[in-house]
Amino acid sequence: MSDPLRPPAEAAYRAELEALRRSDDAPKPEGWALSPRAALTYLMGGETADGTEISAKYVGRRRLIETAIATLATDRALLLLGVPGTAKSWVSEHLAAAISGDSTLVIQGTAGADEAQIRYGWNYAQLLAHGPSAEALVPTPLYRAMQGGKICRIEELTRMGSDVQDTLITVLSEKMLPIPELNDALYARRGFNLIATANDRDKGVNELSAALKRRFNVVSLPLPDDPEQEVMIVAKRVGEMARSLDLPEPKNVTEEVARVVAIFRELRSGETADGRVTLKTPSGSLSTAEAIGVIVGGLSHAAFFNDGALSSEGLSPTLLGAIVKDPVQDKAVLEEYLELVLKKRRPFADYYHALTELL
Amino acid sequence: MAADLHIFGVRHHGPGSARRVLSALEALRPALVLIEGPSDASDLLPLLARPDARPPLALLVYAEGAPQRASFYPFAEYSPEYQAALWAAREGVEARFMDLPAAIHLAMEDAEGDEDAADIIEGDNDERTPENPVARDPIGALARAAGYEDGESWWRDVIEEAPGTGEAFAAVTGAMAALRAEAGPDNLREQRREAQMRLEIGKALKDAGDRPVAVVCGAWHAPALTDRPPAQQDRALLKGLPKAKTRATLAPWTAPRLTRETGYGAGVPAPGWCAHVWRSGEAHGSDHANAVWLGRISAALREAGHLVSTASVIEAVRLGVSLAALRGRPAPGFEELREAAIACLCFGNEILWREVERSVLIGAEVGAIPADAPLAPLLVDLERQQKKARLKPEARARELSLDLRSDSGLFRSTLLHRLQALGVDWGRLIDAGKSRGTFRERWRLEWRPELAVSLVEHLVFGPTIDQAAGARLVEQMRATPGLAALAGLVRDALTAQLPAAAHEGVAALEKLAAQTSDCLALLQTLPPLAEIARYGQARAVEAEALAGLTRRTAIQAAITLPQAARGLDAQAADEMRKAVLDAHRAIALAELSEDEQSVWAEALETVARDAAAAPLLSGAAARLLYEAEGLTAAEIGDLLARALSPGRPVSDSAAYFEGFFSGAGARLIHDAALRAAADTWLCGLDAEAFTASLPLLRRVFSGLDATERRRLLDAALSRGGRSARHRLAPGADALWAARLPELQRILIEGRP
Repeated sequence: MSDPLRPPAEAAYRAELEALRRSDDAPKPEGWALSPRAALTYLMGGETADGTEISAKYVGRRRLIETAIATLATDRALLLLGVPGTAKSWVSEHLAAAISGDSTLVIQGTAGADEAQIRYGWNYAQLLAHGPSAEALVPTPLYRAMQGGKICRIEELTRMGSDVQDTLITVLSEKMLPIPELNDALYARRGFNLIATANDRDKGVNELSAALKRRFNVVSLPLPDDPEQEVMIVAKRVGEMARSLDLPEPKNVTEEVARVVAIFRELRSGETADGRVTLKTPSGSLSTAEAIGVIVGGLSHAAFFNDGALSSEGLSPTLLGAIVKDPVQDKAVLEEYLELVLKKRRPFADYYHALTELL
Repeated sequence: MAADLHIFGVRHHGPGSARRVLSALEALRPALVLIEGPSDASDLLPLLARPDARPPLALLVYAEGAPQRASFYPFAEYSPEYQAALWAAREGVEARFMDLPAAIHLAMEDAEGDEDAADIIEGDNDERTPENPVARDPIGALARAAGYEDGESWWRDVIEEAPGTGEAFAAVTGAMAALRAEAGPDNLREQRREAQMRLEIGKALKDAGDRPVAVVCGAWHAPALTDRPPAQQDRALLKGLPKAKTRATLAPWTAPRLTRETGYGAGVPAPGWCAHVWRSGEAHGSDHANAVWLGRISAALREAGHLVSTASVIEAVRLGVSLAALRGRPAPGFEELREAAIACLCFGNEILWREVERSVLIGAEVGAIPADAPLAPLLVDLERQQKKARLKPEARARELSLDLRSDSGLFRSTLLHRLQALGVDWGRLIDAGKSRGTFRERWRLEWRPELAVSLVEHLVFGPTIDQAAGARLVEQMRATPGLAALAGLVRDALTAQLPAAAHEGVAALEKLAAQTSDCLALLQTLPPLAEIARYGQARAVEAEALAGLTRRTAIQAAITLPQAARGLDAQAADEMRKAVLDAHRAIALAELSEDEQSVWAEALETVARDAAAAPLLSGAAARLLYEAEGLTAAEIGDLLARALSPGRPVSDSAAYFEGFFSGAGARLIHDAALRAAADTWLCGLDAEAFTASLPLLRRVFSGLDATERRRLLDAALSRGGRSARHRLAPGADALWAARLPELQRILIEGRP
């Protein structure tokens, strides 16, 4: 069999995980592959006692990851919250890989997910032939995680219907899954826990019920604090996308990314970078992922119509689309920003004109 | 001399240190306690320790005759210095302050020519010695180096681990000696302070005989006080220093002022947390104390309207313990509990935490001073200013007229305005609204004794009238939610000549204006802004920032206007029209650049042409543009013709007509194009619609006098012979003359 396109975290970082395990002498909670502190090193990067370099999986605030790991150590479930593009799934995968050595027990939350995808399903041929039995029961990732004392990941928890989400309440509070058809119940082994990711600002998400929310400790992953870091992330990702689309990487990608990210950050934070003018924020999330989208949107314009360079004319239409999600409110927000801020800022003059024209 | 000297190096305002100091004093039972603080204020120590003196409060030393030169030395309940003073008073042990006298401190500042501002001295370092930030809070610096945000948690985890009290202070002194060696020699002021402290220690040892002496000082100084060089050397350092004549008293202080955040505080990062640490005593760090703290957070969250269950608090306590274990700390500290609160009580939402952070971490405690504390500098300052202004406080009411163009008039007015800003209404403006903008003010003066009491209550804001008035206005500005009210406070600050407060207010206005998208509020803010700018000129106050704010508000109002003009009912449209007209006048007054005026003009044009906008507003906007020559006669004719064309509902046309012509009926006399449009509309109305519009017509034309009306009639009847559209029927002159009174009645009284 050929190599998978993308191996799971525990396979891709096997060497690091093994090095950590070798030198890990701190006490481990039962069922954990690594001690909490070794898991923290795995996520944030560092060095093991025997000198193996551990790469950083998450670039950002250390205390958030500390809170996440400490939560899992108290047998409380963890909810990673944030706008799209803040590395929620990435963190969840690596946490599962570090703690259980297995990041593959995943349930993908969608609007179409039903209870059978969370609890267990039935093999209907068996069910019809022999009636309800343990053999006829088809376990879900959650079921297997409870059985094996591992971590189960639920992606996009809020995209599932509220009634389906609430199936988790008993599992979270009593660590037990009733199977009324067999007059039985599955009791979770030690080491079992749940990491859910959810996003609270997107369209088409269901509110978490208070009962369920209360059973999670919540860690909000923020957008990058540092502008340079964000520019770097966007430029790197744009380069990768350009290659995968077989488009030449534009010449001036870093400058344009810096300008687009600057606009994004100012609108997102509700004040100018120098902190001297307060602004209104648009209704969209303006995440790093959207900044990447804007630049990628300008790639083909750059390649075919602008001599391989990104330009404000090429980027402005997608930029406008990213900022103005609500045709009335957001438009006023953008107009105000253009008149109050960009108009006076010489390096952004072309954006001012291009955007004003489009409005 | 094998002196029995015990030095307790503490963290200023550190509850952990305070607890240690108390147990150390209890164990040692010294004959004399020396406390870091100005040695010329030792007389106040018994007053400080009295039960009716409730912390937070501050020791206040000011130069006699110049109260703006003052130093505050704030104490919280958990300040080790305060607790040491309390202990000494309780046990009947003599206590003394031992630092450089404030008299020297103030005189040296005078010599250095520092600006007129009171400084807050946190026992150890005032704001003026920024060269060495480590010396400011060495314990905090050590904690930060160890990865702690909170010095108290570090103190507990590291210093309190030491088994005996003596060892704890020895450990601190050792750490400080290492830090000091690293930092190199202190500046001259610090050297002098330490010389003074050593001399006082020498004197105390002599007085105490062979009984023990305890010294409570900032940890930073502990090593320097342990080894004392010969006294001559120290005396030489202090020789010939200038001394100011000073007076000392106590001032009430507040918890917010204890924080560094206000830029005025004593450098306690979180008074609420420190008070919690102090009150939980030995239990600090236990599950119980953590639950108390997290319970306070959840109570604040509930008060703010969020749902927080007891189960969540339990989970937060657990998470705090687990986080501390992950970080290798013996018990959860400030940071662990904060993160646990965010994850469990705020559902990961940091904004929720910030909402309650202030009330939890800072609190709103206010101190009190004994009634017989020495005279407060604010009163001294008032006496001085009264003398200078030649105004005697009299209980009998009298009137005073001031000419603001003269220096003495301006001085008196400023004093009265500043007192008003402090809530001391010795003087009240007569017909305040009308006199604004002129050079004359009329006051009614009446002094009441309780005014002195309310003045002293404001000591917390500053030692002089101008400082206190400014600080109080700033505090009010922070608490004011409305744009217009805020603008009023800015105006107060400007009239009272308090530029710093005005500056702060303008910044707050700017922030608030940015968050306001309500066009009406923005429009209504413009006239007061323009008025302030104009009034400010009479007051010789810089209005630069206000002009910027006016510009900004004008642009924002212009951007929001086209949206806001839509979907209004009659009443709202009328209110909006008034706001637009006032704002238009304000914009004309504000001397905006052409660019900015064009943004406003564009907004007006959009409204004038927008069929969906309220017709009353469209009409008014069109008129304003026409008057400002933003539209040509031909364009305005087209616009009017369209707005008044028969295709539109009569009520809309009538509203447009009213918007356009009210207050501008005279235009019809001279402007044939306008008249033609109006004429066509009026002639096209059926009888019922015409009757319905008559009150409106009356409103529009009521501004015209008899001559103007006649000229309008003449014009309408084309006596000038320019229009061929209305030809009089044969013999009409006679007929018309008979009907004229009736028509006039219709026009004037609105009925035949």
